[in-house]
Amino acid sequence: MADSERLSPRPVNGPGSPRDVPPRPGTQPVDPALPEAIRQELEAPDPAIIDTAATELGDGINRCPKCGSTDIRHKPGSDSLVCLYCRNEWDGTRVEELFGLGEGIADLQGTVIASGARDIAADAATLMTFKCSGCGAEVTINTENAMTARCHWCRQTLGVNEQIANGAVPDAVLPFRIRKEDAVARIRQFVDKRRLFALKAFKAQFTPENVIGVYLPYMIVDGNVSVDVAGKGEIKTREYTRGSDKNKQTYYDADIYQVDRHVDFTVDDLPLESSSERGNLDTRANTNNIINTILPFDTKNAVKWNASYLSGFSSEKRDSNIEHLRPRLEDQLLSIGRAQVENSVRRYNRGVRWEQEKLDVHGSRWVSMYLPVWLYSYHQTGANGGMLHYIAVNARTGETMGSVPVQQWKLLLAALTVGTILETIAIAILVNFS
Amino acid sequence: MSDDSGLWLLLAGPVGATALYWTLYRYYRNTDKSHGFERETKVRAQPVAGTDIKVDEITGTQRTRINGDNVSDYRTRVQRIRDEFS
Repeated sequence: MADSERLSPRPVNGPGSPRDVPPRPGTQPVDPALPEAIRQELEAPDPAIIDTAATELGDGINRCPKCGSTDIRHKPGSDSLVCLYCRNEWDGTRVEELFGLGEGIADLQGTVIASGARDIAADAATLMTFKCSGCGAEVTINTENAMTARCHWCRQTLGVNEQIANGAVPDAVLPFRIRKEDAVARIRQFVDKRRLFALKAFKAQFTPENVIGVYLPYMIVDGNVSVDVAGKGEIKTREYTRGSDKNKQTYYDADIYQVDRHVDFTVDDLPLESSSERGNLDTRANTNNIINTILPFDTKNAVKWNASYLSGFSSEKRDSNIEHLRPRLEDQLLSIGRAQVENSVRRYNRGVRWEQEKLDVHGSRWVSMYLPVWLYSYHQTGANGGMLHYIAVNARTGETMGSVPVQQWKLLLAALTVGTILETIAIAILVNFS
Repeated sequence: MSDDSGLWLLLAGPVGATALYWTLYRYYRNTDKSHGFERETKVRAQPVAGTDIKVDEITGTQRTRINGDNVSDYRTRVQRIRDEFS
């Protein structure tokens, strides 16, 4: 057979080719002979989606409803937006009531996704270019770290409001409430308690005024869950001593039980980092656990997305989809389940060894949010690119946590000094009594 | 310690030094902190159900606790049982 014949495009036909008559819309050609489990998976409904798109806002210029100016900002210390031109103030709508996110958790079935939490398209661009409707110039916004930009020609403010498949526009935003001065004071107080053994360079360069306000991406998850655990428990039945006066030993008798527990529960607003970098809590390589510690936020007060809230703040784009986060959700749900059953095994006074656990997620609801954090960072040089130390303030509750780099030799010296003193005392006692 | 010579007192120095080092290190670096979601999440639970069946007894053990007690280590995962096809 000639090569040319093999390579030439052949008309495709036969079963499974486009020559087949397509199924009617809404029907699925499922082979009735398929095993039940595969059949169920194929026929399962698509995940339900809650549409949270802010249709009244568009990409680009959004104007003050009263005067038409675009100089709109978040008013510090409140949850309102303010027009810097006419001083008109208005509040965002709370998504909790608007989309019913606080209700029906116990009845959740399957995966319910808010439209801002949908999967990120692989080819979605992070750089977005708009034609300024004020003057026609091209303005670019890098959604990796900002959601608004000023047109450098006519000074109008442009924002990204349409939910595009790059993960940058979430369902809701929780505005900053703690002011910058307050955050600076909290960071200063935190570091003042940790000065003695702190790295000299850190203390010399410490300028908490350099703190920046960042909106970090999270998935807020509600779940309707069952957890089963099984293991062994022991109850002490007798305690006695054997041996002579000098060599007394305590012995115990105990009953061993097979313990099984089952608990049904719902969780409301469990936050998960939806930036893969922030979700990596390896304390040998980073200090992301600091930002994890200041969770949770009062996510019930989150308002419908409006890019104007982010004006003047930095932001980080979401890069994880729901399927990436599911293992972390399951891990946390199992932990919550184990904590829930702890009280029911109190009578095992010699403890319980759980050996098996099982999780059933009957339903979950995923909403993506930007949450506000005041972040101070210090880069400590060292091997493997050094370490980035964070001090983070929860910009809603004020909870503060941080990592202060230590001066190793000072810390070792203090430990050795104390060790030597203890050892001297120990030797003195031994010499005196022998 | 079974010998009563008091030589174990010599451990006071190294143990004290290590303990102080780690206490201070953690106070500065907070490497042991994370979100306490077990306590800080709003959880609404149904009453816990379960069974307790006596399977065995032990006599004359010197252990004060069950071997491998993990009742408060919520985050250590144990064997996960999964439904087929889930």
